[in-house]
Amino acid sequence: MKKFIIKSIAYVVLILLILEGLVRILHLYDEDPPRFIDEAGVEKRIPGNEGISVTGNRIQNHARFHINKFGYNSFREFIPTDTDKEIALIGDSFIQGFHIDYTNSIGKKIEDQLPQYKVFEFGYAGYDLADQLYLIHAYDSIFKAIDDVIIYVHYPDDLYRDDYEPNQDRVNMLNSPLFKIRDEIKLLSYASAIGLVDPIKEAILSIRSSGHTEVHDEISDSEKIASYLRNIESLFTKFPPPAQKTAFLIDGEHCAPEIVSLLKSKGYPVIDYSGAFAQSEKPVTLIYDQHWNENGRKIIARCISEYINSKKSD
Amino acid sequence: MLFNSIEFLIFLPVSFILYWLLFRKNLKIQNTLLVVLSYIFYGAWDYRFLALIFLSTLVDYLVGIQLGKPEQRHRRLWLWTSISFNIGLLGFFKYYNFFADSFYELLEHFGYHAQNQFTLNILLPVGISFYTFQTMSYSLDIYHKKLKPTKDFIAFSAYVSFFPQLVAGPIERASHLLPQMLNKRKFNYLQAVEGLRLILWGFFKKIAIADALAPIVDDIFSNSDSMSSSSLFIGAVFFGFQIYGDFSGYSDIAIGTSKLFGFELMSNFKFPYFSRNIVQFWRRWHISLSTWFRDYIYYPLGGSKGSKITTIRNVFVIFLVSGLWHGANWTFVFWGGLHALLFLPFFFIHKAKWNPGLRINRLTDIISVMLNFLLVTITWIFFRAENLTSAFEYLKRMFTDFSITPYLHPAGYRMIDYFILLLIFTGYEFLIRRNERAPYPFKNKWVRLSLYSITVLAIMLFYDDQVDRSFIYFQF
Repeated sequence: MKKFIIKSIAYVVLILLILEGLVRILHLYDEDPPRFIDEAGVEKRIPGNEGISVTGNRIQNHARFHINKFGYNSFREFIPTDTDKEIALIGDSFIQGFHIDYTNSIGKKIEDQLPQYKVFEFGYAGYDLADQLYLIHAYDSIFKAIDDVIIYVHYPDDLYRDDYEPNQDRVNMLNSPLFKIRDEIKLLSYASAIGLVDPIKEAILSIRSSGHTEVHDEISDSEKIASYLRNIESLFTKFPPPAQKTAFLIDGEHCAPEIVSLLKSKGYPVIDYSGAFAQSEKPVTLIYDQHWNENGRKIIARCISEYINSKKSD
Repeated sequence: MLFNSIEFLIFLPVSFILYWLLFRKNLKIQNTLLVVLSYIFYGAWDYRFLALIFLSTLVDYLVGIQLGKPEQRHRRLWLWTSISFNIGLLGFFKYYNFFADSFYELLEHFGYHAQNQFTLNILLPVGISFYTFQTMSYSLDIYHKKLKPTKDFIAFSAYVSFFPQLVAGPIERASHLLPQMLNKRKFNYLQAVEGLRLILWGFFKKIAIADALAPIVDDIFSNSDSMSSSSLFIGAVFFGFQIYGDFSGYSDIAIGTSKLFGFELMSNFKFPYFSRNIVQFWRRWHISLSTWFRDYIYYPLGGSKGSKITTIRNVFVIFLVSGLWHGANWTFVFWGGLHALLFLPFFFIHKAKWNPGLRINRLTDIISVMLNFLLVTITWIFFRAENLTSAFEYLKRMFTDFSITPYLHPAGYRMIDYFILLLIFTGYEFLIRRNERAPYPFKNKWVRLSLYSITVLAIMLFYDDQVDRSFIYFQF
């Protein structure tokens, strides 16, 4: 009996070690560059990190990332000048672009279409409108030198807040020893990414939440839209986006028309890419993921380039 | 409680430690622990099911004692008490709505439009078909004087409710499992190691094969009217692998878990897809059920000893009943009938020809195996389809609407991964086909260690957190 238990434990340890080796050799694990909140209160990635972002159990997608000196995934360092033409592209994971090699990002595609422009990509998974407007506010001197600012608004996820507060809890959690251990043990990182650890997490959560019943108030769609409009008003008052050079990139098909109307009424152009997506014969998103695929990113780059060109001609 | 759940991951080692470290000295207490553990395992689905299994246990225990009395004059009456009770349970919980609905459909067919007022909202207790058959076999064996009844109610309860095989078999005979319950068990290192190996292999078959293929099969069968014939073919073949992985995986985990507790269960699968004809297939697929039908229905009906007409009737009876056992739907009955039709031609040719052994080393052997697999795959379409009309439509499109288009996984995964997986799986099963209880039959421990690691890696590579993790055979 003792022999059985000891040998079983030994075999489990050996198997785990072999698996750790295999997961590393095959690079099945996803790398997530560490995050921090800088002295200006902006949440971003720690500069200088390079690695490979992996999606799915069997490497359904993989892409190299490169965090520049400013803390964003980009092929370019952000050094705005008064002489060059520059575009700032701000957004969440769609703009962050961990699903494509950083050398083939939306920014790079825009530059290919607009050779006289440099594109600075301020993409960060989890950014909402509050993060985006605060970023511009916090780096006012840099953004003053930039000619065009394109803000991607993912409706409705990006409109839940009416003020900016750095998400210190998330950064602390991701930098906690538990998460650091997870990131160091690649087998654990992989198991966690594919959902193998979820049943354990759910079991712990259900034990913790037993006895507590959450009450969810049903809110009508019109009430929700009204709250999003209030949030935009509040954020625009606190961190007004630079007039004349800011435009919003929006999926008009899925975004409430009231949001688009509000932005337009405030004098901000809206780049609606939904029509271009609808016309595309090829799929625009990754098949196992909601993010844009190569075709989708090309279309987005084209829509932004057309907007910049139309602005120039005006 | 599912084998592939976090609850079982905790339940199994805790039970193992309690069983061998704290309760091993007293057989009665150890058996009581087994009953308690089994009731916890079963009650985790729905505690109301416990009343049914307890009743079934009690009835057959009492019937067994009555049948065992030498002075008993009403043996037949007692036997029918057991059969009526168990069939009654099954009939009510599993088949009542089926027969009520079929009756009304028949009335409609003849032009009588009556409102169906008899359909009830009945919850099907998990594994009811398995434990009722197990308890019935006990009474039948005592009636036929093949077994002596036990007076130990706890041991008998442990036999009926033994958690590893309670909800999806193997359907154990009392003559095989009950003596093991009645005798003191001793921890056996080799037996426990074999158990762990079988559990690992069972999890691989369940998670990496059955669960990984499930979304593809579901997608193809639910959208069969818009699928190309090549996709329909993939759907049918994948379902063949899915149901094999699911059910034989369960059996492996059940047998392996039993070994950890010092019990040997009967084998339920012996690499059935390497059979060279349908007769061989049925000797290697769900063996505990097919031998049950053979011993308790086919032989009592006369088996193959009567005229050819009687034999044909008997073969049809067991296959149709076997079909109905799988589910309250005409698709299962039709599936059983199809197997009877495929079975009969072999049955009437010389035994040496239909039972050619396990050899697969000639081209003709390989062709026979492939042809048999194709036939079994076609019959699976009836097993999997929602109704007979959809099954026929599926078949018609598969064989008449010739078109080859690449099938895209509903979640966008690479399909080539699944073909490679099945190819490797089939190749490995071919390699280990001599012994279904030894999935890692290699002497070198480093080879075995590598294979264990690769098995776990494969489970992770094909793990799908979105899939329904329950076992297909629970519904039967």
